[in-house]
Amino acid sequence: MNMLPESYFLSAPLWLITVLHVLTLTLHFVAMNFLVGGIIVVLAGKFSDKWNHPVVKQFVKLFPVAMAATVTIGIAPLLFVQLVYPRQMYSAAIVCGWFFLLIVFVVIAAYYLLYGGSFAKAGSKRVPALLFLALAGLLYVSVVYSNVFSLAERPGLCKALYARNQSGLMLNPEVGSWIFRWLHMMLGAVTVGGFFVGLLGRKHDDAFKVGKTFFIGGMAVAMLSGFVYLFSMMDLMKPLMHSAGAWWLLGSIVLALGSLHFFMKRKFAASGGMLFVSLLGMVAIRHIVRLLRLDGAYAPSSVPVHPQWDVFLPFLVCFLVALGVVGYMLKLYFGRQRPD
Amino acid sequence: MNYPFWDVEMGYGILMALIAVVHVFVSHFAIGGGLYLVVTEQSARKHDDARWLGFVRRLSKFFVLTTVVFGALTGVGIWFIIGLLDPAATEVLIHNFVWAWATEWCFFIVEILAALLYYNGWDRMSARNHMMVGWIYFIAAWLSLAVIDGIIAFMLTPGGWLESGSFWAGFFNPTYWSSLVLRTGICIMLAGLYALMAASREKDASFKASLVRHSAGWGLVGLAVVAASMFWFLADIPATVMDTAAKAMPIPMAALGLMWQLALVLGAMLVLFGLVLPKAYHPLVGVAVMVLGLVWFGSYEWFRESIRKPYVISGYMYANATEVGKAEAYQADGLLAHMAYRTGDDGDDLFRHACRSCHTINGYNALKPLFDGMDRDYIDGAVMGTGKMLGNMPPFLGTKAEAGLIADHIYKQVDHRPVAEIHGLSGAALGRKVYELRCGSCHVPGGHGSNTESYADMEPGDLGDMLDMAADLGDRMPAFTGTSEERQALIEYLQILGKGGAQ
Ligand code: HEC
Ligand code: HEC
Repeated sequence: MNMLPESYFLSAPLWLITVLHVLTLTLHFVAMNFLVGGIIVVLAGKFSDKWNHPVVKQFVKLFPVAMAATVTIGIAPLLFVQLVYPRQMYSAAIVCGWFFLLIVFVVIAAYYLLYGGSFAKAGSKRVPALLFLALAGLLYVSVVYSNVFSLAERPGLCKALYARNQSGLMLNPEVGSWIFRWLHMMLGAVTVGGFFVGLLGRKHDDAFKVGKTFFIGGMAVAMLSGFVYLFSMMDLMKPLMHSAGAWWLLGSIVLALGSLHFFMKRKFAASGGMLFVSLLGMVAIRHIVRLLRLDGAYAPSSVPVHPQWDVFLPFLVCFLVALGVVGYMLKLYFGRQRPD
Repeated sequence: MNYPFWDVEMGYGILMALIAVVHVFVSHFAIGGGLYLVVTEQSARKHDDARWLGFVRRLSKFFVLTTVVFGALTGVGIWFIIGLLDPAATEVLIHNFVWAWATEWCFFIVEILAALLYYNGWDRMSARNHMMVGWIYFIAAWLSLAVIDGIIAFMLTPGGWLESGSFWAGFFNPTYWSSLVLRTGICIMLAGLYALMAASREKDASFKASLVRHSAGWGLVGLAVVAASMFWFLADIPATVMDTAAKAMPIPMAALGLMWQLALVLGAMLVLFGLVLPKAYHPLVGVAVMVLGLVWFGSYEWFRESIRKPYVISGYMYANATEVGKAEAYQADGLLAHMAYRTGDDGDDLFRHACRSCHTINGYNALKPLFDGMDRDYIDGAVMGTGKMLGNMPPFLGTKAEAGLIADHIYKQVDHRPVAEIHGLSGAALGRKVYELRCGSCHVPGGHGSNTESYADMEPGDLGDMLDMAADLGDRMPAFTGTSEERQALIEYLQILGKGGAQ
């Protein structure tokens, strides 16, 4: 009876899983920021003859694709978070059960709304309405995620909430523990949205200006909210500043400013690269904060490691092949078409 | 029991079905549909047939909107729902199979991109490039099935993994290949059924006839593959599982029966309307055939899920998330000691973790009707004896005292009037009801645990003695604790049973 295999183990070294986790989560955020930030900038930006503006039309066509990318890329970090923190994450999700489950339906609805927008005739009044509804849905998703993941880092609170209600109707009542984190995330999305609008609108002065406004403004308020968030975590400040997090923080801020600098000079590759690494730094800090918060309750490093290299290797091969095939298909699609 | 239990009045089965079944439908359709599209496109181009090409093109729009959006999102939704309903089993699966899932994710990315390019590329891409993307789509989609099939089949037949814990033993488990072929057949069949539905709306009669014949062919080929591999699949399920099912598990047996009947009807419809009378393929027929196919598929999944009982992962974890390997520890320490999330009401917590994933008191698979009129001690005995009852439920792994807490919890919520009054019965009819309630779960006359022959030559006095010592007759058999009126009526009924009557 007791010879059954043990199942709580990691099938690759923790550092490797962490690297993949942080990297894929960052990619997921890039797509999400394009989507959420893009919708906000498109809705709020001052474009001339907005709904007939070529850049706006392009974004409206791209939103469903961005949605597909957000969801598809998001599966990978979801896998890793379940792998390393299943008991924290699912317990929090169960406490917020109905809100969490509703995400699925809201996302489906948002997706169809965005498709509706992309199918609508240019200039149609329906487009802003559809985008607005989709945005409301996406914001719902973001609020619930912030709730669930802030709860996941607080197992004690999670247990207390469950003792109060078992039907999955709870949200994190310690609003201070998630609101700044959420705000920072959304303002970051606006910043990145501004970047993308500037990038895709680089040939149109008004569009570039809209992008610039949101990029600069977004970054200013995002940084502000970031500091508020940081100071709201007074209890963790000391360990955080003594960890690699301090370096990540410093680096991310410098890179973000650098990204702004190159953006103004319309050097988009340098700007985008810096922005990406800056975002990566933020995700790394987020990760470090989680570990600090969980300190004493759970340490991923205590989970036994039984590597499955014979499975990891085929995965790696498939991953590289998949990247190759993606490139190949894009070439088929965008490249010169040979008549048959 | 490292997780809280999500307490929703709606049954877990229904919630699961809400997302999982929809996803399973769409995802299989997405694979077969991809093959249908590209194969049909290829033949249309070869014959330079604009009408066929137009048909495929129209099909591809709906196809992308359902697969990329609905298929992908309900697929993510499955993670959400199994995490909420079955976090412990999900934990086992993710730890053992994370790289398989990561591999599936690679195929998934290719699949989604290919679908988007295929749909958007009708005008933009050359025929050759377009078809190439179509083929890539199908291959990636099928490969993702080939990966996920390993994990789904693992839950039913973990095979050598139970001894070795080896990934490959668990992945290429005893039902891996048969269910892969079977699911491939389902994909082809669903694609045919969907195309038929689209074809049924075609105006031009002769074009419609050729569309219908072509698509019915897909449906029939798929169905044939399904039917053949079903025998293979059933043969790969351990014989002991099938034996237990035949004796004590009415649900999977009902699902299996339904499956064969529906397959027969479906085949007949496809031949009749698809091949013999293609011009008369009315849209309503199209919808009916599609629905039939989905109900068939639903009954297959229902069978696969229910035959696994009492486990969620066969031989490893019970469906209520108690672990086989910890049975001794639970019995020694009690379940409560292993529960990470408690509410202060121990009876309720125990009930949730032992029974609640499959039963509610009043709603889904309700226990109240089974316990109305029962005394607390009987309920206590029934909790201890769940593992012996019809339905092949997980055994109760807690302590005697914990069974008592569950009994108190249930007893509080049931009708305390005597059975005679609740049901307005007396005499042998009352006896029959008492038998159903107090004995029938473990002794179905002529079926699971039947012992009618024991009563054949027993006098009423012997039967009374038997009831007095009921608790000693079998492992976990409860004592008889009914009223004297019920006792009298039961004895009367047992005599009838002993004479071979009233079955
Ligand atoms: C894995 C799911 C599952 C769990 C856990 C479970 N049951 Fe059941 N139970 C069922 C199903 C399904 C049936 C219907 C049996 C059938 O007809 O096949 C059933 C039937 C019953 C019956 C009636 C048996 C009959 O057919 O006459 C009783 C009584 C019962 N359950 C009590 C309990 C109690 C008490 C618990 C907790 C200690 C429990 N069950 C846990 C699934 C479960
Ligand atoms: C929780 C399950 C359960 C319930 C309820 C139950 N029994 Fe049993 N009973 C058993 C088990 C287990 C055995 C032992 C069977 C064996 O050894 O094959 C048994 C054995 C018996 C036997 C021994 C006969 C034989 O042929 O082996 C008789 C008689 C019997 N039960 C009658 C009854 C009657 C009458 C009732 C209702 C008042 C009842 N049982 C309720 C589980 C139950």
